[in-house]
Order: sequence, then C-alpha cells, then structure tokens
Amino acid sequence: MAWRVPRRWTFGWFYPWRGVDWLLLGAVWATTVIGAVFIHSSQLHLEENDSLQHLLVGGMGTILALILARVPESVFMGSHWAIYGLSCALLLAVDLVGVEAKGAERWLAIGGFNLQPSEFAKISLILTQAALLHRISGHSLKGILSVFAATAPPFFLILTQPDLGTSLVFIAITLTMLYWANTPGSWIVLMLSPLVAAILVALPLPYQLNLVIWLAWTLAMAVVAWRSLPLGWVGGLGGLVLNLGGAGLGQVLWSVLKDYQKTRILMFLDPDKDPLGAGYHLIQSRIAIGAGGLWGRGIFQGTQTQLGFIPEQHTDFIFSAIAEETGFIGSLVLLCLFWLIGLRLLQIANSAGHDFGSLLAIGLFAMILFQVVVNIGMTIGLLPVTGMPLPLVSYGRSAMLATYLGLGMVLSVANHRPRSRY
Amino acid sequence: MTTARPQNRSLSPLRVGLIFGFLLLVMGGVVARLVYLQVVQGKTLAARAQQQQRRYTPPTLARYPITDRRETVVALDRPVFTLFVHPIQFKVERPAIARALAPLLKQSPEQLLAKFSTYPTGVPIAYDIDEETAAKIRALNYDGLELNQAWQRIYPQQELMAGIVGYVDREHQGQAGIEFSQNQFLQVPSSRQLLSMNALGQWLPALAPADPRALSQGYHVRLTIDSRLQQTARQALQQQLRKFNAKRGTVIVLEVKSGALRALVSEPSYDPNHYYRADPALFRNWAVSDLYEPGSTFKPINTAIALELNAITPDTVLPDEGRITVGGWPIQNSDFSQRGGRGALNIAQILAYSSNVAMVHMMNRISARHYYRYLHRLGLTEKVGSDLPFETAAQLKPPEQFINYPIEPATTAFGQGFSLTPLHLVQLLGAIANGGELVTPHVIDGLYDENGQLQKRLEQPPPRRVFSQRTSQAVVKMLGEVVRFGTGKPAHIPGYRLGGKTGTAQKAIGGTYSNLRITSFVAVFPLEQPQYVILAVVDEPKGDDAYGSTVAIPIVRAVTESLITIEGIPPSHPEELRRPAAPASVSQ
Repeated sequence: MAWRVPRRWTFGWFYPWRGVDWLLLGAVWATTVIGAVFIHSSQLHLEENDSLQHLLVGGMGTILALILARVPESVFMGSHWAIYGLSCALLLAVDLVGVEAKGAERWLAIGGFNLQPSEFAKISLILTQAALLHRISGHSLKGILSVFAATAPPFFLILTQPDLGTSLVFIAITLTMLYWANTPGSWIVLMLSPLVAAILVALPLPYQLNLVIWLAWTLAMAVVAWRSLPLGWVGGLGGLVLNLGGAGLGQVLWSVLKDYQKTRILMFLDPDKDPLGAGYHLIQSRIAIGAGGLWGRGIFQGTQTQLGFIPEQHTDFIFSAIAEETGFIGSLVLLCLFWLIGLRLLQIANSAGHDFGSLLAIGLFAMILFQVVVNIGMTIGLLPVTGMPLPLVSYGRSAMLATYLGLGMVLSVANHRPRSRY
Repeated sequence: MTTARPQNRSLSPLRVGLIFGFLLLVMGGVVARLVYLQVVQGKTLAARAQQQQRRYTPPTLARYPITDRRETVVALDRPVFTLFVHPIQFKVERPAIARALAPLLKQSPEQLLAKFSTYPTGVPIAYDIDEETAAKIRALNYDGLELNQAWQRIYPQQELMAGIVGYVDREHQGQAGIEFSQNQFLQVPSSRQLLSMNALGQWLPALAPADPRALSQGYHVRLTIDSRLQQTARQALQQQLRKFNAKRGTVIVLEVKSGALRALVSEPSYDPNHYYRADPALFRNWAVSDLYEPGSTFKPINTAIALELNAITPDTVLPDEGRITVGGWPIQNSDFSQRGGRGALNIAQILAYSSNVAMVHMMNRISARHYYRYLHRLGLTEKVGSDLPFETAAQLKPPEQFINYPIEPATTAFGQGFSLTPLHLVQLLGAIANGGELVTPHVIDGLYDENGQLQKRLEQPPPRRVFSQRTSQAVVKMLGEVVRFGTGKPAHIPGYRLGGKTGTAQKAIGGTYSNLRITSFVAVFPLEQPQYVILAVVDEPKGDDAYGSTVAIPIVRAVTESLITIEGIPPSHPEELRRPAAPASVSQ
C-alpha cells in the first residue's frame, strides 16, 4: 500500500539520529519558542526585539546539537582536558579584559557578540567531572579530591568576577554528579556542612543562640566525619576544622561581597522594607505574577509587563511576564515542560551505556533544573535574588548556546545507547 | 550504610528515586507558591497592579482665554517648557552639549557646564522656554535632556488691564484681579480621567493631557471692558497725572442699565507678565479697594434722598449764607472767601455752584435717623459686590454718633466725614442715571463659545429700586444744569448734552484735614436718556488750580468723546456741530 513507507526509506537520511530522544528535543524547542514569545512581549514597551536573536541562537544550537549527537562519546571523553583548558583560559581572559556590567566582569566582547565564558564553563565542568568520575569512583576520597581539584580553578575564577549565581550552579552540579557517582550521602552532607555552618553563625538570633547552634552543628559534623570517613580520628578532626573554617570563611566572604549583592540576597525576606530600592524588583515581580491569576491577562496584555514595571524582564525576570500573561495555567505548562525535560534527562542518565554518558546527562539535569528552581524561586519570592537566567527562556545568547551544546552531548549519549536499554 | 559500600558503578534504584523525589518536592514547592500568589492572592495583587498603573489625571490647570467685549485678547495660555538635565545619562561629551544648548538658551557654555556639575540628575537649566526653542532642543536628540511642559499665562495688553485682570503665579493660580476673584470660573474644568501610567510615571503618550487651547475648545471669558475706551481713558488720566504731578488716579465708565463696566483704569499700573517686578501694593486696584471722601460728587445722591423723602421739591429755595456753624463747628463754601454768601438758591443752583451751606440746610430738613437709614439702604455700610477682588466696605460713622451729633449729617451733606470706594460712588450715580434702580457693577460678561454664543454667566444680584423714577429724572436734569452754567461747564461737548458734578475734597489724614486734595468729576451721559456714568478721580494733584473742574473734567471729556466715537452715539443737538468753534453757552 502506498501509505506503508518502507522502513529503510523512513530511516533514510536521519538514520544516524535514530536513537535521539525526540521528546526531549521537542520539549526543549517548545521552551525556546515560549521564551521567544515572552522576550518579545516584555520588550514591547522598550521598542526593542531580541526574540529573533533568541530563536536564531536556538536554531544554531539545534544544528550544533544534532551534529554533536552523531559524535561518539569517546571523542568528548578524549577531549575533556582540552575543553577544560579552553574554558579556564576564557574565564581568565574575562578577569583581564572583560566587559563590566553592574559591578561584575562577565563578558568578553568578541566581534558583535558578548561572550559569557561562565556559561560555557558550566558545560565544560559537567564534561570534566563526568570524565573524572567515569575513571575514579565517587566513593573514594581520591575521586572526590580529583573532582574538587578540577572544579576549584574555574569555580574561584567565577566567584571573583563576582558571579554568585553561576558559582552556586557549579556547587549544585558537583554535588549532584558526585551523588550520582555513588559518593555516600554522609559525605555529601559533610561537603555542604561548611555552608550550613556559615549560615548558622550569621543568623541574627538573640542571646547568641546562633553560636550555640553552630557549635552543636560543628560537633555533630565532626562525629559524622569520624564515623563515615575512612580516616579514623583524623577524619573527625577534619570535619571539625571544615565547619570552623566554613563559618570563618563565610564571615570573610560576606564582608567581601559587594553591597548590591548583600541587599539582593537579604531583600527577598522582606521586600517591603525598601519598596523603591532593593525590594522594588521583587515587589513588582510578585504583583505581576499574582495579577496573572488563574488564566492570565492574555499574551501581550499584561499591564505590569507592558507598562515596564519590571526591570530586566526579558532576562532574569522573564517568568514574571509568563505568569502575568498566561496565569497559573500557563506557568504550570512551563513547569511541566521543564519537568518533562528533567524526566527525559534522568531517563537517559538511567539508560546510558556507561557511566560517562550517564554522568553527562545527570550533570545537564542538575544544571537546568537547579537554575529553573532558583530563577522561578526568586521571581516568586521564595529565594534570594541571584543573577540566574531561566534556561532556554531568558534572553542570553551564551547561556542558550551552552545549554544546546550540553544537550548535544546528551543526545549523543542517547543516540549511542545499547538498543536493548530503551 | 556508606563506609562498607563496594565500588559499584551500576546505579542504585534508590538514588534515582531520591533524585526524582527531590525534583518532585522542589517543583511541588514552586507550584504551591504559585497557587498562593496567583489563586489565593490573585485578586489582591491584581488590584495592587491596577492601583499603581492607573491614576486620575491631575488638574490640567488650563484657564480660559480672556477677551475684551470686542474679542481683543487680554489673557492667554501658552505652553512653555522647563529644561532639566540628567548629566549621568549624557552619551555625548559635556562641552559638546553645552555648546549646542548655549545659543538656544542664551546662556554661556561655561555657565551651562557649571550647572551640569552641580548634581548628577535633575538639574534645572532654563524656565519658560517657548515652543519653538523647545522643538530645537528636542531636535538635538541628546540623552539626558528633559523638557517638561507647563503653561504660561500671557497678557498682551500689559499694563492696560492689569487692575482688572490681575495675574497668575507660577502655579497658574490667580493672585490678583479677576484671575484671583474668579479663579474657579476661569479654570477649564478638568475632566478627571483614569489613565494608564507606566513604571516611569509617564502617561501613555496618546493619553497625555492636551494643549489647553484644545481643552478650552474656543471657549473664552469675555469682559465688559472695551479696551479702546480703556486705552483712551488711561492716556487721558496719565496726561493729567503728569500735568498735576498727582499720586494716583482712576477712571470708571459704567453702563447704567446692566452694570457692565466699560472701562476701569487705575494708575499707576503694572505689567502682569512681570508681576514679580511690581510693587505688591498695585495688585489691589485702588478704585475698588481704597476708601476716599467723595466730597461734592456725593451731593446729587443727597439731593435725591431729600427729594425722595419729600423734604424738598425741585423748586424749593434754600438760603446760602456762605458760612454757618453747626454744633460749634464752622462750615463754609469752598468759594466763600471770594464770593461770600449767594443768598437764596434753588436746588439746581445749589448743585451748580456746589454750595456746602445750602446742602447742610437741605439735609437738615430730614431727621438724622431717616438720613442714616437711607444711606444704609444705599449700601454705604457694605461692599459693592462686584466680581473684582479686594473690595472694601464703605464707612459711615456709627449710627449713634451720626444721629446724636448734628455735625455728622451736616458734613455728610457735602460729602465729607464718611468714605467709600470710587466704584461705589459710580454705582450710586448709576442708580440715579438708571431711573432709580441700583445695579451691581461687574467686568465679566460671561463665558462664550467659539461662535460667540453665551454659555455661562456669573449670577448678578437683581436690580434694586432705591429712588423713584421722578426723583432720579429730576436729579439728572439738575446735573445737566451744573454743566450748562455751573462748575461743570468745561465738560460741555458740542452737539451733546451731559450732566455732571465736580468734587474737590480735602483729604483727611490721621483724623484731621490736610492741604492735600482729591479731585473728581462724575458725568451722566447722554443727558436725555442716560446710558453711562463716567467718573474720574485724581488723588493728590499739586498746584493752585487743582480742582475737580481743572483736573478731572478734561479726563471725563476725553473719555466721553471716545465713547461717542466707539459707540456711534448720534448728537442730540447736531446744529451745534456746524459751528465747531461755538462757545458752549450760546446754544439752547
């Protein structure tokens, strides 16, 4: 019959991509298009339009991703030190000749394109850690220390830009990948413990209760370290030092932070404290999202968005435009798309042929979903404001391209899975 | 569970489940927060959004243009701009901006540069920039320049109408003249609209408040004043003020039927376009706000009162001894030293020779109580109630004093010992000219549309009868005699007849009479069918020949001649015009 296309012909030219996860790619495309629509909407009052650029980068990213999908994983594995080196070099270049924006050096102006090396560093980090953890188990101190050693240089280069958001993404990626690589849960808790210690010390509690709680936490962590690390009492001492040092370092880092970062971090707790200053952004974003109600104001009809009440809305605060104009239902659709992307990445990680591919997928999973949660969390007033874009939706060409590159590597993983596994 | 774990590369289902569970938990938290914000708080936050995006338009502050009765523009709104700079927004070098702005603003580049460095933002650079210059500044297209539009009221007639129209301050609020007293009437009612406003607090462009000329839609407030007549009156007054080195003067022309003021000149005046340079004392029009003792010009009113109360008839004859004593005080005629007593005089002669003594006899025929009651009825304890601001109520002596001391009614008989405003005197004479009906003088005709159709008028009190027709006609006739053969002779205009009364009063300063005078002349015109009352008052003329007849009559004459030309009043005695040089006394 005419409608029965021969199987060989069907696979024809795209036979090489037969293992690619089209559902994942479809969800990524849908998210990109939603991004373009709301970049356009939030820029209407500025008489600017970056949505076409957004789609263009999305298209380029798709092509690159599909090319990468055919590249065998061994090529990525083999080149991870080269990519790592390039990424660190670019980060160093930003420190030396970078373009400043809002008190932070983040860009390299190359031609007409502002390259943001920190975005590409995320992908490079995933690749590097995947390759390392493929070779050395995450359940060994050696594995963990080598991961730390490889992560530290780019991490500190980014932290000193300063780009707090990306630094946090690094931490999220590292912890998730270690966890995936069978690092014991207690070790992960220990790794996080200095951060907890730093926060506990800084809590504004009466009667110096914060110090008491912090000391209790530090002792508890020392016990955990003594019991879980294969080092005996040295491990316990290490845990103690880690938490003492974490608290101390926290105090030092806090004093190093720029003022705008401090107010941004703390303002989400009570934006009405400074409604025209640091709290303005948060209040306006919250009003916009709430005003969207269940069904939204209609695309291009959101008054908060169209009257320009939310600064930088086409980048970090794009979610407020979506929530205002499409309401709770639209927000839920977007969340479901991200959830679907996460689910498919998890599925690829679970079905990959070997640890390297599995770790690549889980790294991208961590990168995308951590950013989604933190970005949306900040627009809805759950989390502090840290400059972090909404992946695939916010306008930002470097971030977009980096995400698609990561996606390309994961598609390669999917494409080269053993047929029986999916 | 952790330490003893072997290096197992295969994934434990527990870890996959934990990660998946963690993802669900976090997403669930986000969804819960969205439910709270968008569903639970949705209405509240939507209301908050509306509240910050929608505002009522501010009052436009636009005012109607004012014209005289012939549609000559007297006051007009014009858009002006204030230039602010925000140096932090400059994208071009400061000196370049200063050089470009300097010629447009008529300031030096150095001055501008100094201003630029005062504040990083919101530096006022120039005020009252006209539309044309503003367009040029806008065409420069520099970032960091901000033009704010405001309205400026301009007064093309400058000093001519200042005493009537007044001025508006920087906030576009009237501070003198009818701009002050009729502030409400002159404001274009602003239609309070709920408009959208963006985050910068700007109205959305299509909805910005419009040009007041468009808002007023051709509507304008028309005055009863005739600016040509006003101009003539002003020139004539200024001439006499100069000639007699006088302190100040006023000319008032009242249309007696309606109470419309055709001219109201007070000198010195000021330029309302530059009110801030003027002496603030001038903002009160003294013809309306300052009291004076009218002297002989009040005698016609007293005569009307006496006639009305049947104390006299037009044929009554009264003695004029030239000098008498009342309650121990001497009273004499102004010309007693030259003429002595005139003997028996009829009423017309009393007015014609302006005999003080005979007036005292006349008013002595009615009881002080009745006299006082009549003066009270004429409004001599009240304000005129015109549409002009800063009116002062006339001042009579307290009733007990007036009734108990014979000197009080005696001085009042020849216009001294009490005071009123020049406008008040015009109003009273107007009642006599108007057949006994008292009307309220006013300068605003009404609000007219672009086709000259009356849209709105200020409420006027109804005319009030204070004298009978017969009385007023009799007094008007006597005033004609004053001009025919009495002190008003120089007022005669060939071909026409008018009645009048001179006044030369000593000024009371600190309770005692000084050598300073206030001279005046009031005319009723035309005599046969009076339509206008014309008053000229000159305060403190210097020189030996400074009398009502020499100082004030030439002014009234000039104004009356102008009135004849402007209104096209035909001569009642055209035969006189064939002999232009004929002396006034020859005719009739």
